[in-house]
Amino acid sequence: MKKADDLVSVTDGVAAVPLGPSVRRARAWPLGAALALTGGATALLLLAGTQWLNHPAVQAWRTVSLAITVQALPFLLLGTALSGAINAFVPADLFTRVLPRRPALAVPVAGAAGAILPGCECASVPVASSLIRRGVTPAAAFAFLLSAPAINPVVLTATAVAFPGSPAMVVARLVASLGTAAVMGWLWLWLGKEEWLRPLLRHRHTGHRHGHSRWTEFRLGFQHDFLHAGGFLVLGAMAAATFNVTVPGSVLDTFSGTPWLAVLFLAGLAVLLAVCSEADAFVAASLTGFPPTARLAFLVVGPMVDLKLIALQAGTFGRAFAWRFSTATTVVAVATSVLIGGALL
Amino acid sequence: MRRPVQTLLLALTGTGLLHVALFTDLYLRYVKAGLRPPLIASGVVLLLLALAAATRGGVRPAPHIGPGTPSGHGHEQPCGDDSDHAHEHERLREADQPHGHDHTGTPRIAWLLFLPALSLLVHAPPALGAYTAARANTKPVAVHKGFAALPAASPVPLTLTGFTERVQQDRSRAVAGRAVRLTGFVTPAGEDGGWYLTRIIFSCCAADSQTVKVRMYGRQAPPADTWLAVTGTWHPRGTLGTRTAEAALDVRDARPVAQPVNAFTDDLPLTPS
Repeated sequence: MKKADDLVSVTDGVAAVPLGPSVRRARAWPLGAALALTGGATALLLLAGTQWLNHPAVQAWRTVSLAITVQALPFLLLGTALSGAINAFVPADLFTRVLPRRPALAVPVAGAAGAILPGCECASVPVASSLIRRGVTPAAAFAFLLSAPAINPVVLTATAVAFPGSPAMVVARLVASLGTAAVMGWLWLWLGKEEWLRPLLRHRHTGHRHGHSRWTEFRLGFQHDFLHAGGFLVLGAMAAATFNVTVPGSVLDTFSGTPWLAVLFLAGLAVLLAVCSEADAFVAASLTGFPPTARLAFLVVGPMVDLKLIALQAGTFGRAFAWRFSTATTVVAVATSVLIGGALL
Repeated sequence: MRRPVQTLLLALTGTGLLHVALFTDLYLRYVKAGLRPPLIASGVVLLLLALAAATRGGVRPAPHIGPGTPSGHGHEQPCGDDSDHAHEHERLREADQPHGHDHTGTPRIAWLLFLPALSLLVHAPPALGAYTAARANTKPVAVHKGFAALPAASPVPLTLTGFTERVQQDRSRAVAGRAVRLTGFVTPAGEDGGWYLTRIIFSCCAADSQTVKVRMYGRQAPPADTWLAVTGTWHPRGTLGTRTAEAALDVRDARPVAQPVNAFTDDLPLTPS
């Protein structure tokens, strides 16, 4: 029993993430993906020799995937630090006191609260997960998750700079993003099932525990969340870089003629390219051949669904959740963009 | 992932960020200059985390034993908790406290973080260049209402974007016959042996890069990716001051230059001194 006590004592004072047996299953797929990637790369190396590594396409791929990772790391650190702090320091009943009691009302309030998290989308995933762990209704946390990267002042300012002389684009982005976030929150209240979430998120109120140092809880939660989300970030960045390098710019123009095709194409492009929400307005501004509504769809879908976000969400909330949520969000975001774009642009 | 490996990973990532952002200018290959302070701060935070993890370990004796907590042996687990042990914890924790907390099971996906960390430290990939520029569309220039008078200097230093705007929009045709100096790198135009002077511009990072190209005439294409300061006059094709005018230059003189510090912005070059 001495042995068992020793083992148990190791876990004292750590916060935030209980692991159930099912976590092993959830872990298997990213590992499998990573192994497949490594295996594929090794096989190609063996087949084509090392000359292949110096090919400009491979170097561009390495540059772009490293750039996405480096660019996102400070925001991911900010998000995981916030999430660790929420777990360790914020009283458990704070959010339930601040948010309206009725979930249907809490959703738009949480969506609007997204305006206070300055940063791009990587920061909002860990924060939303810690909100759920602190007892915030998942629907409200998801509304926050979707709206925060799109409607904060930094991103809206960048949008205004990228589209000089068309403030309607900024307004349309704000309205369409808020609308999508709220609709997705209500959709979760209506259709969402908790068993899609990873088991750890179903245990509520897992923050600070009596008798443990809050600072140690904070540090260990921070470290765990960062390493965890960081791994998924790298996976998502590699996927996004693959499309970034292999899709030549000239393909873009072929779809710009038909309006509805243009909307779908730019929405899909936003998912594949995974451009940071602080920069996507500049990319959208450069797509001059496309109608404004299609560019709005690019701006609304991009911060909510993209390859690195899907990877991050699958890691944080679970795979069953990630694909359902991303699919639904894409559909809702495209529909909202078309409506708002038709009305405002 | 074992604790010492986690500590190593945090330290490597932090050192990598400091290496590219603080001690060298390598970060400019990947992200915009404005991200330097957040990158340095991230490096420092990661190193502090690693330091704390190394000195304090995963455990600290609880100040006092709360009800329901197993009586604590405050000492640290030797750094050898392999995955079997970790699962044993999980099982024990689950048995003891259904809502227990456990961080020993950092997912193995975190191993992927070693790739960017080592990349930054020992094998930083090169900046984007001719390969990317050749496959990109030319970034459309902003529409200008009026233009200030060109500086009297000869040749006039202009950015590629500035030159394109002057050629295609300046009704006063101020660039007609004027010698201008443009800086960028060489991108071959394809089979016809022509070439472009190009700049790649980041809004935020290399993933959102955009390309500006100006066609060069009257000289053999230098090797791709060579940085040049080119002096010349507008190559008359189309009507100057309208959209039909091609952004093109008759090259009079082309001098190799070092890659500017601000290679990936839309500004006049700052060459390293």
